[in-house]
Amino acid sequence: MDVTVDVVGGGERECVLEDGATYADLIRAAGFHPQEASVLVDGSPVPGDRPVDADRVRLLRLIQGGSNDHLEAEG
Amino acid sequence: MSLSLDATQLDRYSRHIIMDEVGPEGQKRLLESSALVLGAGGLGAPVIQYLAAAGVGTLGIVDDDVVERSNLQRQVIHGDADVGEPKVESAARFVDRLNPDIDVETHEARLDVDNAHELIGGYDVVVDCADNFRTRYVVNDAARIEGVPVAHGAIYKFEGQATTLVLDGPCYRCLFPEAPEPGTVPDCATTGVLGVLPGTLGCIQATEAVKLLLDAGDPLAGRLLFYDAMDMTFETVPYQRNPDCPVCGEGGIETIEGVDYTGGCRIDAD
Repeated sequence: MDVTVDVVGGGERECVLEDGATYADLIRAAGFHPQEASVLVDGSPVPGDRPVDADRVRLLRLIQGGSNDHLEAEG
Repeated sequence: MSLSLDATQLDRYSRHIIMDEVGPEGQKRLLESSALVLGAGGLGAPVIQYLAAAGVGTLGIVDDDVVERSNLQRQVIHGDADVGEPKVESAARFVDRLNPDIDVETHEARLDVDNAHELIGGYDVVVDCADNFRTRYVVNDAARIEGVPVAHGAIYKFEGQATTLVLDGPCYRCLFPEAPEPGTVPDCATTGVLGVLPGTLGCIQATEAVKLLLDAGDPLAGRLLFYDAMDMTFETVPYQRNPDCPVCGEGGIETIEGVDYTGGCRIDAD
């Protein structure tokens, strides 16, 4: 199936998925790691393991920076 | 009507007072209000600067770091002479020089499960300027439980995101139900950040905080504002409240004690 992914701040891309593909597969097809982004369908995030059932989605990348950003890893 | 504003205050805040949307009543309201700023770094610096200038009477500042020289490219409330000093102390000195009306409450600590309820509970608004997902989820959860709205902001290289989490709107978990595993999303220390970027995003957060304290305008609730400094574009992404959200949904948690904020900060449904 063909899905249009509107990457917030990154333009649109067309992704071709096999039948039964999940939203995590769609995120990978759009070029991101599934933990790096959230897929929104009609304004609500959808679980990564749910089969894709929309032909157009928005993909929002998570960003965390803000304050000090020390090099040591957070717990 | 001057209410309890003295002559010096009427002069200092005259550009607020002259506006119908603020006026002397609104300015008095700001002076009697309190904000907790989580992080005195890139985002926190302009937030502290503008909330202090605006006359938000009590400013809580939470940070457990010291000023480093590499901070000074963007953390504009700290100076070269502050390197090596705790950020909360440097920030408090900045506020004291800027506006003697402000009471600064410094918390040289990292906000976490064991202190979040106590730190957040007494404030009128929280401004989330944290630099990691663990703190962001702790803040979201504890603030919602305590009934305190949050002005959220995050930055990455040339991009920023802001949204406002009000009590009758969706929370951060409605947008991002789980945090990514540590290390999967890069931070500013490893990728860099345009020095002026946190200034732009921090000013948006400060704007939201002032609006919330004044109960004026439309907050950025149920909307995520995405800013791209390279393209100089803003995009608004609407999002919905999740009725099954473990924090703001019906039957949500009543305390963050016992929640495991390692890894994905997941809260399992009962």
